[in-house]
Amino acid sequence: MTPTVSASGLSLRYGGTRALDDVSLRLTAGVTGLLGPNGAGKTTLLRVLATALPADRGTFTVLGHDPATARGRQEVRRRLGYLPQTPGFHPDFTAFEFVDYVAILKEMTDRGVRHREVRRVLDEAGLADVRGKRIRKLSGGMRQRVALGAALVGDPGFLVLDEPTVGLDPEQRMRFRELIAGAGEGRTVLLSTHQTEDVAMLCHRVLVMAGGRVRFEGTPAELTARAAGRVWSSAERDPGAKAGWRTGTGSFRNLGDPPAGADLLEPTLEDGYLLTLDGAGAEVAA
Amino acid sequence: MTAVVEKPAVSGTLEEPGGPRKAVLALALFESRRLLTRIPVLVAFAVYVGWTVWRSGKAWGDYPALQDADRATQGAPMLIGLAVLLSVNSAALRSHRHGTEQLLTVLVLPRWRRTAAHALSVVAAALLTAVCVAGQFGREALRPGAIGHGSVGELLVGPLTVLLFGLAGLLMAGLVRSAVAAPLLVVLFLFLFLFFSGMDYGAALWLLPVVEDATSNTLPSDLLGRPAAWHALYLAGLALSLGLLALLVAGGRKPAVFAGVAGTLAMTLVGGVAQSAGDSPELVRARERASVHPEQVQSCVRRDGSTYCAFPEWEPRVGDWARVVDRVRSLAGGGAHEQDVVVRQRVEARYGLSGDAALESLKRPHEVTVGTQWGGNRVPEFSAAVAGVLIAGDEKAATSICDGRIVPLMWLAVGWESDPLDALRRVRLNDTVTGSDSVLQPTDGLYMTEAQTEVLRALLDLPRAEAGARVKDRWVELTAPKITAARAAELLGLPAPEGEDKCL
Amino acid sequence: MPVTRQLVLPVHRTVPWGAVGAAGAAGLLLAALTRTGETAERLSLYLLRAAILAFAVGLAFLLDDPARHTTAAVPTPRPVRVALRVALAVPAAAAWWTVALLLVPQGARPPVGDITLEAGAAFVLAVAGAAAAVRFSEVARPGPPVSGGLLATAVLALLFWPGRWALFVPVEDERWAAAHDRWAVVLAGAVVFGAVCAVEPVRRRIRF
Repeated sequence: MTPTVSASGLSLRYGGTRALDDVSLRLTAGVTGLLGPNGAGKTTLLRVLATALPADRGTFTVLGHDPATARGRQEVRRRLGYLPQTPGFHPDFTAFEFVDYVAILKEMTDRGVRHREVRRVLDEAGLADVRGKRIRKLSGGMRQRVALGAALVGDPGFLVLDEPTVGLDPEQRMRFRELIAGAGEGRTVLLSTHQTEDVAMLCHRVLVMAGGRVRFEGTPAELTARAAGRVWSSAERDPGAKAGWRTGTGSFRNLGDPPAGADLLEPTLEDGYLLTLDGAGAEVAA
Repeated sequence: MTAVVEKPAVSGTLEEPGGPRKAVLALALFESRRLLTRIPVLVAFAVYVGWTVWRSGKAWGDYPALQDADRATQGAPMLIGLAVLLSVNSAALRSHRHGTEQLLTVLVLPRWRRTAAHALSVVAAALLTAVCVAGQFGREALRPGAIGHGSVGELLVGPLTVLLFGLAGLLMAGLVRSAVAAPLLVVLFLFLFLFFSGMDYGAALWLLPVVEDATSNTLPSDLLGRPAAWHALYLAGLALSLGLLALLVAGGRKPAVFAGVAGTLAMTLVGGVAQSAGDSPELVRARERASVHPEQVQSCVRRDGSTYCAFPEWEPRVGDWARVVDRVRSLAGGGAHEQDVVVRQRVEARYGLSGDAALESLKRPHEVTVGTQWGGNRVPEFSAAVAGVLIAGDEKAATSICDGRIVPLMWLAVGWESDPLDALRRVRLNDTVTGSDSVLQPTDGLYMTEAQTEVLRALLDLPRAEAGARVKDRWVELTAPKITAARAAELLGLPAPEGEDKCL
Repeated sequence: MPVTRQLVLPVHRTVPWGAVGAAGAAGLLLAALTRTGETAERLSLYLLRAAILAFAVGLAFLLDDPARHTTAAVPTPRPVRVALRVALAVPAAAAWWTVALLLVPQGARPPVGDITLEAGAAFVLAVAGAAAAVRFSEVARPGPPVSGGLLATAVLALLFWPGRWALFVPVEDERWAAAHDRWAVVLAGAVVFGAVCAVEPVRRRIRF
């Protein structure tokens, strides 16, 4: 599959901190998950790819356009939907007005077409009933959906979503997953999250970042496979394990290098993620 | 913040008496640290300290009168007050702005207690200002030539201004939940201050936090007539009532707070009324006496035959005056060399600090006026007055000298200084050392013609001993009335002056 | 162009008119003080300057946009969005200034052209400061810090601005004309600075 987004050598520093350190990646149509601990550089990467923040070094293209020029950036933005980590709103606007406002900013000038499109994304985001409500009256989850609607409006080819499911209840999260999965059909979606289940359920590819670098790039199955043979069960906490906790069944679930003859367990995506981070941490320390 | 959040959670002391109070204190420490590290506050303190250090010693040199130095601490803290106003307002609106109000309202500390912590952080800023003010005043008080008494009331004005402005900012945050309110309040404050101090509202002027008297007059501290203590009471009352009102607005509707508001308003009222009472008849009489009959309040001491009469606060300065009299006399010839003088300290206090009336020359023989300020230009001015009295006999006659006697007079006045030319520049009105110019004295001035200046300059160019000897040799002729500058030059063996020799 | 036309209404609704209006009201209050007596008339220049400062404080809030992050990556460029807000504010500022001037009694009014130059410089400086805050930081609402900075600048300039380049001179001062040449420089500088800051950088040159 030809990549819709490809980046090479992206670097960015804040003062003395390396927020991005030589990041290269390729994204293809479908949902790509971006995992990483806090401070790993996920939000910075997303902001750079969304053209909200220029990088210090490195290049990238989105759908064949290079945002390093004003003109290229304009073209990228015409094809881009962005949901920032902390979206802001004009609280006096209704949900419809706000998305409509963003739609105008996305250069949708035909009023009829635009209003149809705004209604479509609001329906898609499950906001049909509260279209006319002022944003100040909406709950946090509803607001998050308004922001998603604003990102989706205009049918962008590249969707950047920064932790869209934070603070949502399980039901809302499920709704969101439906939405994102739907958005991923035919589009390129980059989804930053702390929820490994989101990645396991939604994504065809996954990136793991730590310390401003990409530590893993592959399919969720490949990430899970990293933990194959490194998860075992024991009656007591295994002192040789890198991490271990008592599960509901009373036995311990251990991660790391198992002793000979250990009772191996089926790994999850989260196990693979944690072990990848652990390796990254060791690498950073070394 | 964490301290406050965690404390009840960890120890479960919600019901323990003093629990919330301690939490308020902990929060106050946290807020104080934040307030004092806000950029506007840091910049204001930096500018304030820099400005104060740079200016220190510029006004009075090593001879400050502490009843003036205390007032000089008042203006600059307003800058800090404005910065604190902005910063505390923004801090009090922080939770509103970032939408954490919902989160914070469920915590153990209700909003009014958090407001109390903000108020205490303003107190911290005021205390820091007080330290700066104390440092500034202390530095003046420790100068070797410092005299007089500072007033605690005047010194409190600076810190109280910071308190007042800060608490006004806090109250504003309670009344108007908008970030634009505080900057506008600052503009209004800035302007109202300018506006009302520019207008002559008399007693109403004292409603402003800082009342500056634009004056160069130094009065004995008991004649100042500034209601400093009442004004400090008024300011404290006003500041505290604003702070307590902010607590009320934030929901602290406790009987103690209501009582506090009433009490502080009463304080404000008492202070406000008392400060605008105007000058008491006793004060007017005392000022009259000090101006017209200073001898009734002065004590005199004798040094080397001369008499020095000073207001009680200035007695330590007699030694400085005596040194000048000694030096001037040592340069004089004839009878003047041995002539004793009476140095009389005088002040025009009848019009208070705002008065700028000149002193009249004395007519009693060999009595010379000294003012209330010392150091810098005041020294050669006094020196010139002493020289005048030695030559002309009395001050009235000395200040109407208009002939060549100016040459020996000015020689006596500046000849003993380590840098006579610099002293000459400082004693002349336009800071010149050539051409004609006026010479300043504690009472009326003198006028030096261009020719007289030329002769004096030529005299000063000679070696000091040589010049002194020539003046003493020809003392009688040089100090005879109606002598011309050309004649003086001839007597002194100096080239004849070319400039104009006509006095005004 | 059609984008701009359609944006007028929504952008008008996003402008923090409350802050601008409050500042305008405070400014007019100050200007109206000139009608309170003879001494007040003498102070009319200073009252007008205070009014200008008050309104400039309000204009520092002009670019406040809580939805800034949500609209960070839209194709309508930032200069267009900033220019639209400024364009909406210009008639309001002009109307406000006219009223403020009319509030000052005819005889006490400082030279209208020159004082308008001062006002223009202060207003542009305020908006340019907000544009700079947006350009160089992540803040969505530059109003509070920029208004604080504006006040600090005003106070510090009043106290420490070198007399050689005097800006705040009374009408009868002989340096009035020269001071207003300098005000023109300040205005031009602020316009250029604001224009530069309104542009969204493609590359990061200055790191914060």
